[in-house]
Amino acid sequence: MAPVRKKRRLADYGLHTERLLWPTTGPSAKGPGVFEQELGELEDKLMLTTVQKAITWAQGNSIWPDTFGLACCAIEMMSIVSSRYDIARFGAEVFRSSPRQADLLIVSGRVAHKMAAPLRQIYDQMLEPKWVIAMGACASSGGMFNNYTVLQGVDKIVAVDVHVPGCPPRPEALVEGIIRLQEKIKAGVPPAYDIRGVAS
Amino acid sequence: MAVHPPAARVRQPRLIYEGTRIPSPIPTVLQVRPELMEQGDIMQINFGPNHPSTHGVLRLIVDLDGERVVGLAAVVGYLHTGFEKTMEHKTWWKAITYPERIDYVSFQNNELVFVLAIEKLLALETPPKAVWMRTLLCELNRIHSHLVFLATAALELGAISMFWYCFRERDQILDLFELVTGARMHTRYFQAGGLAEDIPRGFYDECRTFCERMPHAIDQYESLVDRNRIWLERTQGVGLLSAADAIALGQSGPVLRASGVDWDVRRTDPYLAYDQLDFNVPVYENGDVYDRYRVRMEEMRESTRIVEQCLEGMPEGPWIADDRKVVLPPREELHTSMESLIHHFKLVTEGYRVPEGEVYVPIESPRGELGCYVVSDGGPKPWRVKFRAPSFVALEATATCMHDALVADLIAIVGSLDSVMGEVDR
Amino acid sequence: MSRDQIPGLLEEREAYGETTLVVEPGRLLEALGHMRDERGFAFLADITATDYLGWREEARDVAGHLGTAAGRDLNAPSSQGLELLPEPKPKRFSLSYHLLSLEDRSRVRVQAWLDDGEAVESAVSVWPTADWHEREAFDLMGIRFSGHPNLTRLLMDDDWEGHPLRKDYPIGGEPVRFSSAE
Repeated sequence: MAPVRKKRRLADYGLHTERLLWPTTGPSAKGPGVFEQELGELEDKLMLTTVQKAITWAQGNSIWPDTFGLACCAIEMMSIVSSRYDIARFGAEVFRSSPRQADLLIVSGRVAHKMAAPLRQIYDQMLEPKWVIAMGACASSGGMFNNYTVLQGVDKIVAVDVHVPGCPPRPEALVEGIIRLQEKIKAGVPPAYDIRGVAS
Repeated sequence: MAVHPPAARVRQPRLIYEGTRIPSPIPTVLQVRPELMEQGDIMQINFGPNHPSTHGVLRLIVDLDGERVVGLAAVVGYLHTGFEKTMEHKTWWKAITYPERIDYVSFQNNELVFVLAIEKLLALETPPKAVWMRTLLCELNRIHSHLVFLATAALELGAISMFWYCFRERDQILDLFELVTGARMHTRYFQAGGLAEDIPRGFYDECRTFCERMPHAIDQYESLVDRNRIWLERTQGVGLLSAADAIALGQSGPVLRASGVDWDVRRTDPYLAYDQLDFNVPVYENGDVYDRYRVRMEEMRESTRIVEQCLEGMPEGPWIADDRKVVLPPREELHTSMESLIHHFKLVTEGYRVPEGEVYVPIESPRGELGCYVVSDGGPKPWRVKFRAPSFVALEATATCMHDALVADLIAIVGSLDSVMGEVDR
Repeated sequence: MSRDQIPGLLEEREAYGETTLVVEPGRLLEALGHMRDERGFAFLADITATDYLGWREEARDVAGHLGTAAGRDLNAPSSQGLELLPEPKPKRFSLSYHLLSLEDRSRVRVQAWLDDGEAVESAVSVWPTADWHEREAFDLMGIRFSGHPNLTRLLMDDDWEGHPLRKDYPIGGEPVRFSSAE
């Protein structure tokens, strides 16, 4: 794998922006946005070879999520499986029930303290490389529940790659989160546990 | 669709576990018989909080003798969010956003029950347009909830294509919600006094188109599963719950009606516009999984009829009550009227106050009797809010339904009780 | 419903179209059995425990509106500058059983008042559905039900300490930092 030293932030590699809405007017109306340009430069900096590019291309295009629906966001997650917001066209063909066969953990819903241990257990059972999307406000930060029982952000116990805001996020928003994750993977950015140096 | 006399006057002996299928003095636990423990080869399996049947985070500790379920205990609490305590710390207005997320599949019914409780304490009259629109939205939500039930129940039994068909209609309903309220789920459209905003143009036509399409969609679903041999074998005769047991176990909604008891809060304690609407309440007698499925399918048809009637009979007029102590004044008035400005200021900063008292308001949510018990101390925040969740009670009946069940039946039964864990754990 | 018939009846209140029967906690099980057998309330909808610690302590804002939807009643004017306090409650906890009669479609609330630590008999033998409702009341409020076959925590972790819905239990959570404040 590319020599990524731990504890260097993505900003050190030149990734400063997040992709904004696609510009429809102005000089960059048809070209790649800033995010894509920075990702391109990132690839050079991370010195990915063609084989590694092929590997990350394959990994990114076939992420299989795990069925980890907790609460309301799970219903919107089910609707991205349905035919209107079909996620199979992005490679997430099946939702695996067993974490051993899944790549992506979409934590959809509020995590109670009682559920934190099973969540971590599922995360531990997943094989590397694995990614985590914190879907919704409750998974990202505790959402509207700031109380004795809701974990204020699932990134307290697992390393999160992408946070998707919303309560619940629209299915398109979740699909956007998955696409950004795919781009991140294809750019060669290591999964979050590698960057943060936490146990995976 | 026969109607059985309600078993209210059942002379139950004091020790009610004899002669019923309620398993033991601990009605929610099916205990392995001691002789089986010694002789048989019992395996204890954990259907953990994360499992593929998408009912949320329910944990079942199941004892199996081969394929037969001989012991069962349900562990809940994995989604306990502390709604009730959190709502005690928010003003009445802000607290309305919380109930929706309790039963996240029929969200507007939860909003409705809390708002009705506030209005009962305030003795606030809602204008007819708001009443009819609330009825319409709640019935759409009933269809939505039953679609999600059908999709997930069929998915677990293997009829995976139902999932895609049901979600196609479900997306149409969510489009309607988005058209009216601005959000697909958790719409936050009901206020104390009526609706948050007027109904936008174009809604009635879209809704009518949906109502024309829906019966054909239900016909499609029925043609897929209703006479399907595999479906019938897996659902008929499975998960039996007698009428007396259902009443003793506090069941309501489709589970109770599938066991032969004709009880619907919309009929008996009409709220909103239900006393002016013409609809049937389906009641079946066998009390098995198939009957619960049939009750819900019929209810979807009836709900479509109710929505059509609401569209026909929708009155004109204001969409929210006029009481400026509770409802924000229209923005145009803020420029000209000093009192409106002061009302607006007080309502936004401090919130309205609800007179002291306690009320219990029951409504018929898609899962059964959803009740909201509110205690107010006369101040700007609720003192105690308790939601009587039908799914909480439905899970208590799991052990009774699980007599002589196989592992595969366990999935079908848990699916047919249609419990949403957000409601159970609150 | 006369005082002679329901065992332990202390008070009968009507408010907002609902009837509340207050009974002595010592005779609660008798009263519930009487309601089920003699009065036909075969359906237990809900058991709710409410904690009234801190009731009446905070003075209500005298300038606030404490009237009805129609406005302030001139015959019963508002506070006149005095503190408006809600009605005092007899004890700390109230336990409300919401009952329903399927035959005559009537609802009633049976209420008992308890002190902290006072136990009451379990209604599981009357309605099996009381099982989880009582476990929840125990878990979140700390009310003990004697004779309950399985009085353990239901919603919180098994080793959780404290009863979260009590008024002296803190709401918890984390202080929220806003990035614009830094």
